[in-house]
Amino acid sequence: MTSDDDRDVLAAEYVLGTLDAAEGARAEALVRSDAGFATLVRDWERRLGELHAGIEPVEPPPQVFERIRQRLSGAEPSGAQVVELAEMRRRVQRWRNFGTAMAALAAVLVALLVTSVLRPDLMPARVQPEGPAAGRLVAVLQQDAASPAFILTVDIDQRVMTVRRVAAQQPSGKSYELWLVSKQFPKPRSLGLVGAQEFTTGTALAAYQPETISDATYAISLEPEGGSPTGEPTGAVLWGGKLIETLPAARP
Amino acid sequence: MLTAAELVGLLRAVAAGDQAAFERLYAATRAKLYGVVLRILRRADLADEVMQEAYLKIWNSAGQFDPAVASPITWMVAIARNRAIDLARKKRDISVEEAPEALEFAAEFADPLAGRERSEELRRLLDCLGRLDPEQRQLMLLAYYDGLSREQLASRLGRPVNTIKTWLRRSILAVRECLGS
Repeated sequence: MTSDDDRDVLAAEYVLGTLDAAEGARAEALVRSDAGFATLVRDWERRLGELHAGIEPVEPPPQVFERIRQRLSGAEPSGAQVVELAEMRRRVQRWRNFGTAMAALAAVLVALLVTSVLRPDLMPARVQPEGPAAGRLVAVLQQDAASPAFILTVDIDQRVMTVRRVAAQQPSGKSYELWLVSKQFPKPRSLGLVGAQEFTTGTALAAYQPETISDATYAISLEPEGGSPTGEPTGAVLWGGKLIETLPAARP
Repeated sequence: MLTAAELVGLLRAVAAGDQAAFERLYAATRAKLYGVVLRILRRADLADEVMQEAYLKIWNSAGQFDPAVASPITWMVAIARNRAIDLARKKRDISVEEAPEALEFAAEFADPLAGRERSEELRRLLDCLGRLDPEQRQLMLLAYYDGLSREQLASRLGRPVNTIKTWLRRSILAVRECLGS
């Protein structure tokens, strides 16, 4: 029984899926940080992956691709995972041509939005806003002047969130993890890790209803590298806060 | 299903941001990936969610796909399985015991590969799995197809978790040895 065997067995069990959530998270962190381990995992994926031939294909519902398309064009990459901004920028470029075509339309929409905020009574009845102006919500999260600060911005229509680190150093061997705390769920839900760069953008909120997003409390905890091994916050919760709107409500 | 070479071509195009290629890739692979995740998650709503995440990940990582390391479908299935197992571990409420389809799957499990076309690699893997003790072979296949954790495998097979752990280790090392690491 050698430690090489231990690593290979861990890689194989990671591929098989027999690890519990904590072990799986540790293996996941190893895949990202240890190229040798990542190779072991790839080897097992290749060896065991052939078994997929035994799975009967099942047609997914048509709306699945519709949602994928929406998330690609509106929200940009990756579901539960947090994506670094540099990567985002590169990807966004691909959708930009479409965006240019939309710009003229957007200008009209901005005019309508401004009208709807300042003089809702001038709006045609059908497009008068029903409630508070939806759109950008922001939370500034800081315990005191000396502690790390983060600014969380949420585009509620696209359900895209961006976390900006203001004075938060990355402690070595630790990761910041963002949580959504809502009375609708018995436990905090992870929204992914805050990346090492200044900006981290993610689409983990796509899984939640707009009301849930706007009513929730957001928290950041300091977790072992790679994130909480248990699926719940295990480290110190550095701050928690609620989102506020960046625009005045459409109607007083 | 398209040929492996066609899928490799589509993945290259997807890596370059070709949305039409992505759509064709989805059309060619969606039923296989959905079959994989539905079997593990046993709930259509969760399987839908995982499909979205898996294909977004495929869109984002297509540039990292290396045909020298894996076949395109194996690579894509690995991404989808990974997401499905991740979600299954987080949602403890997907209990094998409560899932009505579980029995159905168990019945059909007898030989999921019967009568299917087998690649050379698959033949070798099956040969190696065939050399395992039958209960340990069943353990490996249940783990792969149903995405069960050690604890779930223990309750399914009526064995202590430690035994499952030992068996998994022994089977994994035996398969590696047999395939020629």
